[in-house]
Amino acid sequence: MAAQKKALSTALPSVWNKLEPLLRRIERPSRYIDHEWGSVRKSDADFHFCMVYPDTYELGQPNQALRILVNAVNATEGLAAERAFLPAVDLIELMREEGLPLFSVESCAPLSSFDAIGITLPHELAATNVLEVLDLAGIPLHASERAEDDPFVIGGGPCAYNPEPYAPFFDVISVGEGEEATPELLCVIRRMRRAGANRQKILREAAKLTGSYVPSLYRWRCEGEAQERGSWIEPLYEGLPTRIEKRIFEGFAESSAWEPAVVPFTEAVHDRLNVEILRGCARGCRFCQAGMIYRPVRERSADNIVNSVLRGLAETGYDEVSLTSLSSTDHSQIAEILSRLNAALAGTGVRVSIPSQRLDSFGVSMAELVAGQKKGGLTFAPEAGTQRLRDVINKNVTEDDLFGAIDAAFAAGWRRCKLYFMIGLPTETDEDVKGIASLAQRAYDRAWAAAGPEARGSVKVSISCAVFVPKAQTPFQWDGQIGPEEALRRVNLLSHSIKYKAIDVHWHDPKTSFVEAVMSRGGREVAAVVEGAWRRGARFDAWTEHFNEQAWRDASAEQGVDPEACAQTTYDVGYIMPWSHISSGVSQAFLARERKRAEEGVTMPDCTFERCTGCGVCKGDVANMLAAPRGANHG
Amino acid sequence: MADPLLFRLRVTYGKTGRLALLSHLEITHALERAVRRAGLPFAVTQGFSPHMRIAFGSALPVGVGGVAEIFDIFLARNVNPADVLDALQSASVEELYPTAAKLISPRAPAASVAFPYSTYEAELSVRVTALAVPRTVTVRRKKKEKELIVADFLADGPTCETTGAGYAVRFTLQAKEDGSLRPDVLINACLAESGLDETALMGLTRVAQTARLVH
Ligand code: SF4
Repeated sequence: MAAQKKALSTALPSVWNKLEPLLRRIERPSRYIDHEWGSVRKSDADFHFCMVYPDTYELGQPNQALRILVNAVNATEGLAAERAFLPAVDLIELMREEGLPLFSVESCAPLSSFDAIGITLPHELAATNVLEVLDLAGIPLHASERAEDDPFVIGGGPCAYNPEPYAPFFDVISVGEGEEATPELLCVIRRMRRAGANRQKILREAAKLTGSYVPSLYRWRCEGEAQERGSWIEPLYEGLPTRIEKRIFEGFAESSAWEPAVVPFTEAVHDRLNVEILRGCARGCRFCQAGMIYRPVRERSADNIVNSVLRGLAETGYDEVSLTSLSSTDHSQIAEILSRLNAALAGTGVRVSIPSQRLDSFGVSMAELVAGQKKGGLTFAPEAGTQRLRDVINKNVTEDDLFGAIDAAFAAGWRRCKLYFMIGLPTETDEDVKGIASLAQRAYDRAWAAAGPEARGSVKVSISCAVFVPKAQTPFQWDGQIGPEEALRRVNLLSHSIKYKAIDVHWHDPKTSFVEAVMSRGGREVAAVVEGAWRRGARFDAWTEHFNEQAWRDASAEQGVDPEACAQTTYDVGYIMPWSHISSGVSQAFLARERKRAEEGVTMPDCTFERCTGCGVCKGDVANMLAAPRGANHG
Repeated sequence: MADPLLFRLRVTYGKTGRLALLSHLEITHALERAVRRAGLPFAVTQGFSPHMRIAFGSALPVGVGGVAEIFDIFLARNVNPADVLDALQSASVEELYPTAAKLISPRAPAASVAFPYSTYEAELSVRVTALAVPRTVTVRRKKKEKELIVADFLADGPTCETTGAGYAVRFTLQAKEDGSLRPDVLINACLAESGLDETALMGLTRVAQTARLVH
């Protein structure tokens, strides 16, 4: 049968007439109607890309990847980008009843009418939503079932660093930063479609681009074979890469920190101007995936940032700006940036915020620079309760750092602080768990003393615990997770160890952390579990009220996958993990060395403050790029 | 609100097309952002978290449009209203669009209470010559059911007319100090009373807000 090849066209069909009557019957219709300030509709392009966030508008619209990629694609000649989100459940149900397919925001065009769609994979609990998106769009769930005129389905984001549980659902998985990689990939598809190439040919060409992984072009090996051959994947054709290197956007530091933004009508999470001031973090926490995959560290300059903030505020009308990154107070010019912004924004009612506080008195003095008179709560993340365990995880923070931060914060007028910890970190003992209680109580004592007599009654310290999830591409990727029952036992031990009534303990449901671990560490066999769970009704797994554990358990049983083994097995560092063919630039040898140092309690410095520790990311033109030496103005 | 040092500018705007689907809270956010984008010299409140001094006219429900909606913005500098209107228009989207701006007395009554009479126009897909009005309608407020007597609020209408575009119903509601009757609730109740389906309602728009009842 001669497959029908899709012709490129400049116009997209619209389903607005079908959607409009439904909007009267649902909550917050403003999420689905476009026309926001900053929404772009590009008319002079013949290749249409839709960027999808696999959750609702209010979570997805503020997403940085979505914004960056829509801008980057629209900036490319011949390509146009639109946005799409998963509707809330009320609209999804109506759409299924009425046979209305998933649509883009701008043109209200069915997703299936696009040439390519991109789905960002922001965290491990979005997998069933990917299937919900495809199904609602009427696009075949499996890449292997897609016809010539179906869109190319491209994945990316943090979960691309272990792409296997998503492998059958995507034509291409794009690893690393997409500013340049996404338009390049789309241009290849466009050029080849124009030339009349079929899907298979286009995919083989796409697989040659750095950072793009085409799972269907590789056979998935069994465990024994994978361990013997040193890789789980085997190319089906000559000339395919066996290692997928992530893409790095080398122009990041020089590029403008102002990124055109859509200003939503509905109240979104982080509903503010987000300005990315630096990328990457080299503190080297051994559990942290972001700290490994976004290296090297690249800072934008103070001038770039200050100008971009002022321009962004003027163009969007936001009354809040957040200086985002993994560790904003580590920026070498952070004090200068905040002082200049304070001076420029005085009297305008604009708030400046930094997403998290560095755990020392410098971090607090930076928080104070932007807090003005309004001091809500501060958040600190010691992660572990004892120095021993903090050394294991390379959290280079001492009790004195924490207490110095608490002293400074409560003396400056803060009354509440939240402490983040993880339960179940590798090598954790009951002593470490009790150590969390002890640390929090002593933190409370310091806060009480620093707050002064009038304020003592309102001093509040809370503890927030999450179960450790082993993440791909980190030194702890080989470590198993503790089981949900054991996690609850440790949380109870912690609760009982706290003698102060003024300290609250909150914890995340260990059952969702369990699914996170399965998704984080699973191989290609887990994809069938995702599909089975979705068929049993799992979706919106990250929403406590929707999480459906039974669906996941039943699907695992049906597929003969042992989820406990997947989440909880600890391997030797010589074991080839199912994502070893994906490279973040940080070498597996470095990860293994770090895992050994963890065992010995040996810490390593941050290469942006001290020496290179040899992670392997920097080579050729790729290197840390700081706007000024770090450490000079840091405590 | 009366601060003799501030200039009070009253802006009239339209909430039209698909943006009729915005809620009042969404409208207020969108307008504040438009004022910031326009670069107006707005005044800010004193205190812990300073914010823009802006006051909005009476709210419209989700799904109800308006052609002459109002907000007042307090400015720290005297400005030419025509320039302000220009700046606001270039900072606004088409369907939430300022159409007039004028300076008013800082002591004038607030926009939310100055115009208790609202005239609405409902657009219907079917021809009706007269719409039956129920004596009461039941509304839910915070999970409690409440009976409202329509005559307490309905100041004029409903009158049916055939327009160039289709069939329209006009009516005027009066806001009371202790509450008001939502226009969409009333029109749907009237449709039901007349044996018509809710889907006959194509659109609902506030066409005028007045201080006194005008027939
Ligand atoms: S290679 Fe060295 S300098 Fe570069 S990120 Fe890794 S540790 Fe830092």
